[in-house]
Amino acid sequence: MKILVIVPAFNERITIREVIVRIRTFYPQADILVVSDGSTDGTGRVAREAGVLVLEHSYNMGIGATVQTGLLYALENDYEIAIQIDGDGQHNPQFLSSVVEPILQGRSNLVIGSRYLSEGGFKSTSLRKLGIQFFTGLVWIFTGRRITDPTSGFRAMDRRGIGLFAEDYPSDYPEVEALVLAHKKGLGIEEVPVQMRPRRRGTSSIGFLSAIYYMMKVTLSISIGFFRGAKG
Amino acid sequence: MSAKLTLFAIIGSSFLLLVILDLVRRRYLKERYALLWIITGGLFLFLSIRKDLLYGISTLLGFVMPSNALLGLGFLFLLLISLGLSVITSRLSEKNKILAQEVVLLKKRVTDLEKKCEADNPSDEKEDSI
Repeated sequence: MKILVIVPAFNERITIREVIVRIRTFYPQADILVVSDGSTDGTGRVAREAGVLVLEHSYNMGIGATVQTGLLYALENDYEIAIQIDGDGQHNPQFLSSVVEPILQGRSNLVIGSRYLSEGGFKSTSLRKLGIQFFTGLVWIFTGRRITDPTSGFRAMDRRGIGLFAEDYPSDYPEVEALVLAHKKGLGIEEVPVQMRPRRRGTSSIGFLSAIYYMMKVTLSISIGFFRGAKG
Repeated sequence: MSAKLTLFAIIGSSFLLLVILDLVRRRYLKERYALLWIITGGLFLFLSIRKDLLYGISTLLGFVMPSNALLGLGFLFLLLISLGLSVITSRLSEKNKILAQEVVLLKKRVTDLEKKCEADNPSDEKEDSI
């Protein structure tokens, strides 16, 4: 079984090596692909020295395009399962196998690692929690499914998911939209509990204004996408 | 509309048209994207000369002053042009993304192939470094 772990990274030189080591430790059967999104701090070089597959965007294209580049690579090289895990060390590679499990059992096409499903799970600030509940509600309206952690970027998908997203993946803040898209295309979606670590360094990429933009953008694209024909 | 304003409108729109046509001639502006601009400039010139038509349109649309009708039309066309530009920008950024992703994947394939070549014929190694 060909499995690819895609690590989108933007200026994560400090954390990327440890992430790679931990993925190797906990999930040695997978190939690792770091997609550096126009990093200027040598993230790509560090990853290459660690001996993993590396793709480097010539300029910063955003998380959506970065994940999609990884999926295009997976598609081109005939991987059967692709897993997406952040390069900043937030996602714990220990849970890689639990994210893949539902796919191996043929239960789902797309699996989301949720930090809110587990007991004593992730401690979020109340503002973030509010934002996530907003998206949970939005996803519920358009799919009728309750996804506890729709913005989680820790996910695994099978060939159907890879094919779908390699062709069409939202450019910024893609996670929530991708869920609705997958549901629309009839993919089986499932959540599994994972633990996430609070970010060790740097701040979340989402400030207050971007949070507003995030909500508006995602709401707009999901609502319009809903009325898109078979092509969308 | 006063004679002064009429003269100004005629000169202004002629100048705009000339600039647009010259840009197209020098290939700074593609015909495809110049079309809406030419229509705008042409219509302005036409209405500045044929004031009776401008008066007709302004009565039809309920403008009190014909010059305001001209202004309103100009505004409408500007809106259309900028909307068109946003569409073009969106399309371009999507195409640009696809191209950039393809380049990344191709680059990876080239380096992989180079490595494979080197591994297959170690004697050729020096040739590339010239």
